[in-house]
Amino acid sequence: MALFLLQRLTALVVTLLVASLVVFLVMEVLPGDPAAVMLGINARPDTLAALRQQMGLDLPAAQRYVLWLGGLASGDLGTSYTYGVSVWELVRERLGLSLPLALIAICLSTALAIPLGVLAAARRGRAADAGVMGFTQLGIAIPNFWFAILLILLFGVHWQILPAGGFAGWEAGAWPALKTLILPAVALALPQAAILARVTRSSVLETLGEDFVRTARAKGLTRSAALWRHAVRNALIPVVTIMGLQFSFLLAGTIIIENVFYLPGLGRLVFQAIAQHDLIVVKDLVMLLAAAVVVVNFLVDLAYAVIDPRLRGGRSYE
Amino acid sequence: MTLLSVTDLCVTLDTPDGPAPILQDVSFELAAGQSLGIVGESGCGKSMTALALMGLLPAQARVAGEIEFEGENLLALPEAQLCNIRGRRLAMVFQEPMTALNPVKTIGFQVAEGLRWHLGLSRGAAEARAVKLLARVGLPQPRFSPDLYPHQLSGGQRQRVVIAMALACEPALLIADEPTTALDVTSQAAILDLLAEVTEAAGLALLLITHDLAVVWQNTARMLVMYAGRVVERGATPAVFERMAHPYTRGLFAASPGALEAALPAGRRLATIPGQVPDPRHRPAGCVFAGRCPRVQDDCLPAQPAERALDAAHGVACLHPCLEEEGVP
Repeated sequence: MALFLLQRLTALVVTLLVASLVVFLVMEVLPGDPAAVMLGINARPDTLAALRQQMGLDLPAAQRYVLWLGGLASGDLGTSYTYGVSVWELVRERLGLSLPLALIAICLSTALAIPLGVLAAARRGRAADAGVMGFTQLGIAIPNFWFAILLILLFGVHWQILPAGGFAGWEAGAWPALKTLILPAVALALPQAAILARVTRSSVLETLGEDFVRTARAKGLTRSAALWRHAVRNALIPVVTIMGLQFSFLLAGTIIIENVFYLPGLGRLVFQAIAQHDLIVVKDLVMLLAAAVVVVNFLVDLAYAVIDPRLRGGRSYE
Repeated sequence: MTLLSVTDLCVTLDTPDGPAPILQDVSFELAAGQSLGIVGESGCGKSMTALALMGLLPAQARVAGEIEFEGENLLALPEAQLCNIRGRRLAMVFQEPMTALNPVKTIGFQVAEGLRWHLGLSRGAAEARAVKLLARVGLPQPRFSPDLYPHQLSGGQRQRVVIAMALACEPALLIADEPTTALDVTSQAAILDLLAEVTEAAGLALLLITHDLAVVWQNTARMLVMYAGRVVERGATPAVFERMAHPYTRGLFAASPGALEAALPAGRRLATIPGQVPDPRHRPAGCVFAGRCPRVQDDCLPAQPAERALDAAHGVACLHPCLEEEGVP
């Protein structure tokens, strides 16, 4: 297990370094000089040169890359051109919204998808299965921004049970803040749950045909006991894989959903930073999102090892 | 005392091309503590018989007849009561030890599971019993911790775990479906010895299903020979081996490697039975073996021959059974 962890951690660090290099290079080749963007087109050349020097833009690229990495490692993400505050300050504020939103969406989608998928597999070919498959077909077909607007119209405007947009802020208390996150989380979670439920269904169906499920039945376990105790855990590996892959779609989804619901989150910050050519914010945020995806994949690898002992490595008695 | 009595068991599988009769009129009895071997080639219905006894046939199978076990007709019992019998009174050892165990649960958990399920033992008590059971089947502590996972064991060791699982609740009947087919020769002998030892010690009845005549010879008191879903010969194992009245039994014997050493001079090829097992959907009206039988005559073709007794311990479903002195072909 220790060896497994060490391998995965090494892979994590290497992937992060490669990701940072790619992000840096892409920002390098993008047209537009941040100093020129800040000063506007009528700036005098000597003012521009002075600003470039102040921002460190006159240094060679390799040096700037190392400085940026050092900054990232020490928590100094630089200063936003447009906001004039440190990027870390901006990110911390937005993370307070985006992180809970992503977590609620993941929990919601998992809590919905796994029981539905298992139910459909257990009742294969019957009404419950057809119902779940129909629901998932809809979930996959409907784009999440359209679904978000539908939710706003129904719950925010027509019934007025939940806020139609905006974020109350955690200062207002846990419940008011959570209330503003419910609709966005549902809009994010539903399409993901639909895909996940389908993966769960087919994976459980495959596992139900395995010999060890028959062994469990031969022991006297009922159909449902054999299903939940023996089939489901074995069926989780593909489900966890898809959950890991979905995480990056979730991050992309937040950019759209946060705009639909006027939520001041990371997704909206990325959107605004790109619109305003605030390149340092864009660079840091893209790196942050890439790191989040890499870390989630690391967690998925750990989950594999928790689910399946064969992936942990260890003693053999053969 | 009769423990298990199977009467006219028929199993039909619904296939896209229509119903396929897999088992036809299979009847046999097994007394407590006795051993019975079922032998036949792949597809003859041996494993289906075992699954029918366990009530674990595939969903598209239809069953008729009667399976009386400890005084109850298993085919008439509701699923909840069957679950209560399975694993507790009636246990099964499967052919493939590599896949019969759950790869993500420890062997201790899997052996203890039946004890907790049927006997309501606490986790600790069940696991303590599991450790004893594992030692009983030749996997003693501390080398074989109950915390091991199946992938850390060899095929023979895994089959021992499967046997420990089957023995856990002290059943009255153990069904072993080709328990050694997937194992190497040395493990085969060890597993068969273990099965013989534990069944004798516990007074357990054994239903041993195999395609290997040598296994039946060494491990069972009585035997059935099955072909194309029917019982074609039955009797006390020594009596059946002595005469081999059904031409199919003779062919099976001549085709088995165990017989090669005993019956043939070195260098002779193994015999084969010409032809193929008839498709279950298009079985002939007459004797199912007629198409491949070297002794076939006109009267074999109109109807399936009824089983008749050759003597008190021996019966055959053949109109022209082989005589003992004819020798093995």
